[in-house]
Amino acid sequence: MEDYFSYTAKLFNPDEAVEKPEALKGIRVLDFSHVIFGPIAARVLADYGAEVIKLELPYYGDLWRPATYWGKYWKHSNPIWHNITKNKYFISVNLALKESKDLIYKMAETADVVVENFAPGTADAWNIGYEKISGINPKIIFLSCSTYGQFGPMRYFPGWDLLAQAASGVLTLNGYPDTDVYYKLPDYVGDFFPGNIGAMAVLMALYHRKKTGRGQYIDMAQTEGLMRILYHYTYYSVTKEAIGRTGNTDPSMMPASIFKTADDRFLALACATAEQFKNFAEAIGKPDLISDPRFADTLERLRPENAKALTAIVVDWVHSTTCEEAVRLADEKGFPAAEVADDYMIANEGWRRKRGSVVLFKDDVYGNLVIAGPSAQLSGTPSRTKWLARPLGYHNRIVLKKFLGLSEDEILALEKKKVIGTFDDRPGLKPPVYYNLSEDPIYNYGKEVKR
Amino acid sequence: MSAREEVYTRHGGKGGDRGQMLAEMMNVEGKPEVLDDILVLDISSANFAGIVAASFLAEFGAEVVKIEPPDGDPARQITPFGVTVQGVGIPFMFEGRNKRYMTLDIRNNEEDRTTFAQLAQKAAVVIESFTPGEMDGWGIGYRQLSLQNPGLIYIALSAYGQYGDQAQKSAKMPDTDITSQAGSGLPAQMGAPPNEPEPLNWPLRGGMWAGWYISGLSAALGGMVALLHRQNTGQGQMVDVAGMDAYSSMVGMPATIGFTWEKSRPRIGVLDFILYPYGHWKCKDGFVAIAAPRDHDFRALLKILGLWEQEDDWRYSSDRIPDILEQAIHLHRIIEEKTIQFTGDELVKMALNYSKKSARSKWRGGGVPIIMKLMTPEAAMENRQWLIRNAFQEVEDEQLGKYTISANFVKMSESPPRVKWVSSQIGKDNEYIRKKYLNV
Repeated sequence: MEDYFSYTAKLFNPDEAVEKPEALKGIRVLDFSHVIFGPIAARVLADYGAEVIKLELPYYGDLWRPATYWGKYWKHSNPIWHNITKNKYFISVNLALKESKDLIYKMAETADVVVENFAPGTADAWNIGYEKISGINPKIIFLSCSTYGQFGPMRYFPGWDLLAQAASGVLTLNGYPDTDVYYKLPDYVGDFFPGNIGAMAVLMALYHRKKTGRGQYIDMAQTEGLMRILYHYTYYSVTKEAIGRTGNTDPSMMPASIFKTADDRFLALACATAEQFKNFAEAIGKPDLISDPRFADTLERLRPENAKALTAIVVDWVHSTTCEEAVRLADEKGFPAAEVADDYMIANEGWRRKRGSVVLFKDDVYGNLVIAGPSAQLSGTPSRTKWLARPLGYHNRIVLKKFLGLSEDEILALEKKKVIGTFDDRPGLKPPVYYNLSEDPIYNYGKEVKR
Repeated sequence: MSAREEVYTRHGGKGGDRGQMLAEMMNVEGKPEVLDDILVLDISSANFAGIVAASFLAEFGAEVVKIEPPDGDPARQITPFGVTVQGVGIPFMFEGRNKRYMTLDIRNNEEDRTTFAQLAQKAAVVIESFTPGEMDGWGIGYRQLSLQNPGLIYIALSAYGQYGDQAQKSAKMPDTDITSQAGSGLPAQMGAPPNEPEPLNWPLRGGMWAGWYISGLSAALGGMVALLHRQNTGQGQMVDVAGMDAYSSMVGMPATIGFTWEKSRPRIGVLDFILYPYGHWKCKDGFVAIAAPRDHDFRALLKILGLWEQEDDWRYSSDRIPDILEQAIHLHRIIEEKTIQFTGDELVKMALNYSKKSARSKWRGGGVPIIMKLMTPEAAMENRQWLIRNAFQEVEDEQLGKYTISANFVKMSESPPRVKWVSSQIGKDNEYIRKKYLNV
């Protein structure tokens, strides 16, 4: 029989990914959303082949376009925005005008999914909510994303990822006990995680629609999405005690913590089971730990006083071992250990590039950019990146002409009435200075361009 | 007034159809389940990412069979401080949603492997977390099962994935939450700044299973994409989730910033890299979270806190971003001097009153400063919002008694997810499964 890894290397070969089918081909998504929570739900659908049309306001655009870390731009664009909105069609219409609404209604006729994350009630007030759109297209799947949900006494409270972390209890779980400092989860994961749940809910609705022919309305509250990951509520209801903050130690396995190595690097090390603990104890040359009455039984080992004693032993061992050696032993003997990876390591480690967890993408407008790959690799219908984010209004013509079948005169009239528009001189909205848009066949779709 | 009536009468917008629809949405009874026609086999071992993925599919109606060795999945003993109810750990109880329990000794018993292969012929999804290649070596990996059942979706969870040199080199390394968090870049961004004492300035672990839940969600999401493809074409496929990808692949920032900046971000404590103010402050009776990052939000915050004299110094978001750490910490203290004078409730009210007027006024520039009391999970359970939305559910296990879980994590008008029962008993459904799927 062929070796397993040579079999899987062929099954998942990243070089062949582009030729494989797309699971969501033919699904059209109208993306009214902004910032991260809604856009990420739509992007996940785009990654698997859906045609996502993102709507923004002319000369203003998505609030997140200019929001880059420490104000650092990359080729006049926000580098992290490329990850949040890749693979989408960017159209920019002025919602205040009646003609824009007509365009949206026209798009809604052939759309399968709508994604929005305005404050609850706003989409309805603007007449682009579920009631209106489902009147035009009863089979529509309409995903509304918000911090606290579409109904309930707090529904009108505005929110960000931070507020969902604060309202769910997530924020108060990070930090060291007996200090007055808490830390929020970084990088707006309170948007990304619920955004992915939103995408999963849309996939469920698509599956359901195929079986029954019926569309539906989805109310995704990001706080509830975060609450789904806390077993802390159950712990409290059973013990009447709170787990609280436990610093770097995971109280559910022992050992499980982040340690400092002999060469001053940081190493996460854990043993979730008796078998892993046995492997670890043997690897560090202390097989007597396996039969120590304090540590022999998994549940005994977790009791706070025993956990403390064992953690001290592990602290000493890691402190006398280099990171490389600890990881080598973990690979060899079979216990979990990993160096704490930072941005630079993640961007540059060879295995991530080979696996497709991190991708060096060559874009027609922006050139080379390293972006994250998918968090699940599919052998049959893999996720893929086709293009990065685009300047505001970049796809106006292709959407109007190719998807909606508007004539050149109609497009001109819309431009003249300022129904559609593009970018101004702000970074994040405009193309890179070196890029000549007048030669771009997609921006000028349907016109003659000289290249 | 019942919760449902309250939604309709008071919290459903201006009444009318939308209120009715939202009220109905809370009611899951009698509604169809999306995945009621598929069988899922969860044979994951000591891995909550697998258990969570199976839970998601079970909540959407799939028949999920948790297959364990006769002495149970070691995951049953992964529980905070060793707390169990009759030997079952808290996280296992929390995830014991709508599942069937069957015992098969896959590791040691040839006959049980055959039984598993027979079951897999009827299954739409298999979820496993053995070391890469182990199932294949036993003759029940994707390669073998898909010959009999080409529509099978085979979800494999591991530390470094199923293919490539690193996956092979680290094949024996099990996947856990903390190593997944660390290996995918979360702790590197959390913790006190470098000038603070050790170990406060070390990378900090997220205080919940951020790694395992991201992997679990990614597995269910990937599985769902595969199920849609199967619905259209009949074709199955393999889904490969690596714990070391979890965080960095979901948020995307580490890879792109590491490339464009050619170095790593330092840890900046309670501050944020992009937005300010965007964090939490001490108040008279605890902590409040404050988000007022847009310039007009920030101006509004200065007004309600009586700090308008600061406006000239911090006017633009580029003045406030913490690229100069001392400067941002200075502003943090200026705000704290004010927040400490008020209770959490007072601050929340001040912000809400301002925002309400601001939303209707041309003259206030639309600034919406958001202030919210920092809640522990225990305090969140008391919040009326979640009572009305049925976000928490009291469940009863035949053997373990009553307890509370967070459920109904997304509301859907036609085919919502739901928790129908909880159970955790080893081998409880052996007979049921054999009868239904193996004609025994």
